Amino acid sequence: MSLKPSSKENEGGTNTIKKLNRKWNLQRLGGYIARDRILLLILLITILSGFMTFTYPEAFPQTDNFAAVLLDTAQNGILTVGMMILLVGGVFDLSIGSILAFSGIVAGILVKDIGVPPIVALLGGILTGSLCGAINGFIITRWRINALITTLAMQGILRGVTQLFASSGVANLPEGFRPFGQTKFLGLQSPFWVMAIVVLVAWFAMSHTRFFRQFYYIGSNERAAGLSGIKVDRVNFIGFALMGTLSGLAGTLLASRLSNAVVLAGIGTDLRAITAAILGGASLHGGIGTIHGAFLGVLFMSLIQNMLIIARVPVFWQSIVVGMVLLIAIGIDQLGWRNQ
Amino acid sequence: MPESNNKSSIANIGSQYTRLSVKGIYKSFPGVQALDDVSFEVLPGEIHAVVGENGAGKSTLMHIIAGVYQPNEGKMELDGSFYIPGDEKAAQKSGIAIVFQEGSLFAPLSVAENIFAGRQPVNKLGFVDFEKMKKHTQELLQDLEVNIQPSTLVADLSPGQRQLVDIAKALSQQVKLLILDEPTSSLTISEARLLFKIIRRLAELSVSIIYVTHRLAEVFEIADRVTVLRDGKVSGVREVENTIPDEIIHLEVGRELLFAHETARVPVEASIALEIENLVAPPVKSSSITVRAGEIVCLAGLVGAGRTELCETIFGIRQPVSGRILVDGSEITPRHPIDAMRAGIGMVPEDRREAGLFLSMSVAANIGVANMEKVTHMGLLADSEIKQLAKEYTDTLKVVTPSLEREVMYLSGGNQQKVLLARWLARQPRILIVDEPTRGVDVGSKADLYAILRELAKSGVALLVVSSDLPEVLALAHRIVVMSEGRTVGELNPDQADEVSIIQMATPRSIITQGG
Repeated sequence: MSLKPSSKENEGGTNTIKKLNRKWNLQRLGGYIARDRILLLILLITILSGFMTFTYPEAFPQTDNFAAVLLDTAQNGILTVGMMILLVGGVFDLSIGSILAFSGIVAGILVKDIGVPPIVALLGGILTGSLCGAINGFIITRWRINALITTLAMQGILRGVTQLFASSGVANLPEGFRPFGQTKFLGLQSPFWVMAIVVLVAWFAMSHTRFFRQFYYIGSNERAAGLSGIKVDRVNFIGFALMGTLSGLAGTLLASRLSNAVVLAGIGTDLRAITAAILGGASLHGGIGTIHGAFLGVLFMSLIQNMLIIARVPVFWQSIVVGMVLLIAIGIDQLGWRNQ
Repeated sequence: MPESNNKSSIANIGSQYTRLSVKGIYKSFPGVQALDDVSFEVLPGEIHAVVGENGAGKSTLMHIIAGVYQPNEGKMELDGSFYIPGDEKAAQKSGIAIVFQEGSLFAPLSVAENIFAGRQPVNKLGFVDFEKMKKHTQELLQDLEVNIQPSTLVADLSPGQRQLVDIAKALSQQVKLLILDEPTSSLTISEARLLFKIIRRLAELSVSIIYVTHRLAEVFEIADRVTVLRDGKVSGVREVENTIPDEIIHLEVGRELLFAHETARVPVEASIALEIENLVAPPVKSSSITVRAGEIVCLAGLVGAGRTELCETIFGIRQPVSGRILVDGSEITPRHPIDAMRAGIGMVPEDRREAGLFLSMSVAANIGVANMEKVTHMGLLADSEIKQLAKEYTDTLKVVTPSLEREVMYLSGGNQQKVLLARWLARQPRILIVDEPTRGVDVGSKADLYAILRELAKSGVALLVVSSDLPEVLALAHRIVVMSEGRTVGELNPDQADEVSIIQMATPRSIITQGG
């Protein structure tokens, strides 16, 4: 019955505003969860922490445990920032896990087999990610193949290429490469600090720079964005290239932290990043979402993970829980959307 | 006006029972009284037109008759017995079919599958009997003298052919009353002729037709009687033979000549702001236009004449094959709307919701989007400046909104259109293209929008306005350029032109001779 709303509106005439005002008040409650995601997440995180402190006083409220939780947010946080930007623009990337593994392997081969200076290997790994993301962006914006299919194909291709390069991985990376992922500062490992910088810069960019604000317009109405002078293809291309860069950063940091570049790294990171972003207020319809929301989504997921580990729940449950959290988050998103 | 040649049923009015009678219908939506004590009746075999401005209640009334909406009060009778359709299915069972403007076909399926959607004939094994379905469809289409193959995919049909398939679908289910909602809006002249022929045949078979339209010429060509709605009330019922278009317009508008034409001419010395020379960009075939600063040039023509495509080419959405676009005498080659914008051009697109607005974003953001260059300093957006800009232009255009933060989807059509105009006015364009400036807005906003466009022209902006609403063209234009089949075919002076002369110029010759 797609006919109903349009004809209703035709009849609405000048009274439409009055009518919708009332409607909005009625649905305020229903849409509240979808609207104020930040408050909801802070509330959930507080409740969860309180519950854990009460139930596991020896295991949960310990400095070491907090450091572990924050370290756990590092990789997902870096990836979710990129995913959030894409989701605001109305697209997403399923190839991030494969880009992550591939970049780590490239950095590993560079530093161990070829013997370039560690900093060059680090940059090489990150740029590998940028290149993969740029390829995604090129295929999507030039060949007009949709993002889901393109990045799904890229996920398979890159995973295979990674294994082709290094059948099982690059082990025992040289000492010089380790500080990037293993240095401690204020009791926290470097990946956390890298993530913190990425989050802060991205938060500033998404809320204040003209370039990144364009993602909101594109996600809200791509056609109207183009007709208002926004170069939609260019912005989308840069979005994917940025996602690739962040995946490369995450992959290189992981290799450095583990002193090992693992071929099977990053499996499932796409699911986790999309879940965290949707939890944090992104919508599959595009146009909404914030970086601070994304970070809270990531933190919430790390707490859940931590809870499962402390409660000695078998590992496979974690995957089940993440999947269910994603479904619930998308359900809330749809609910809010329908109310509009 | 073309005279109706099917008045036979008129003679019998009064002696016959009524097919459908609607009595004292009230229907309100939150905050709006859409229908206010509406009564009217349709006789068997009668072609009954229902006309009225946007928002007069035509669609709501048709939706109630077709069972889509339930009335708050009132009753209906069909062939003398109570008729209370609970939903569309129930209405269909009672023999009432409605064909909507937008159509309700499944594009990836064949014509036959569409006509028998949901009730495909099956063979003994329970599988769909495609042969039977095709045969029935063939018969149905032949009956209507429509030359479409049953196995053709709907996606491959023209909008007009789809409309005919939609009608065939409605007729395939024992219809007593057929409701057509703006059926000719997407038809070519020859398709419209065919449709009229079909309608007359159906009337002879004593099927009643309710014909909803805003085109008076069609009312006088096809209808027996006409009911006029205004602000949810019936303002008059007339026999077409005994009325004239002016009377119907009065009943619709309730005011004398609401939008008088402004006689002020643009001095010929005014510089040419926009010049299009032999522009070719399929389906646009060689078009030339000039618009002077301070002039409103209206681009008239039938749907599908290439007017929108021409505007899109000027604005850099389509690339021309040949020809030139000149702004203030220098050639531009816009590859993207931003290029046209930098040359001083703005464009308000035809489809406000799909191509214009960011519905879930605020009024301020909707105005800011095309003005980001202006309010960006070292890459950073100044939100306060966006708000200031938005405030300035929403005040000037008198946009009714509770705040600048209000999501634009909650505004009325007229205010949404003003927000779009504000977006472009904030750029202070030299040239503004407006495609269908008042589609789907109420009469009050229409007057506001005309005033805004005239004011803009006075301030020296060159306006190129596309409109399918001929009274609007006549009211607004300093000069009328007519397009037909992708070409600009001539110019008219609005002081001397009328609806008939525009349509004559806009109608492709080939179809006139073919059609009649």
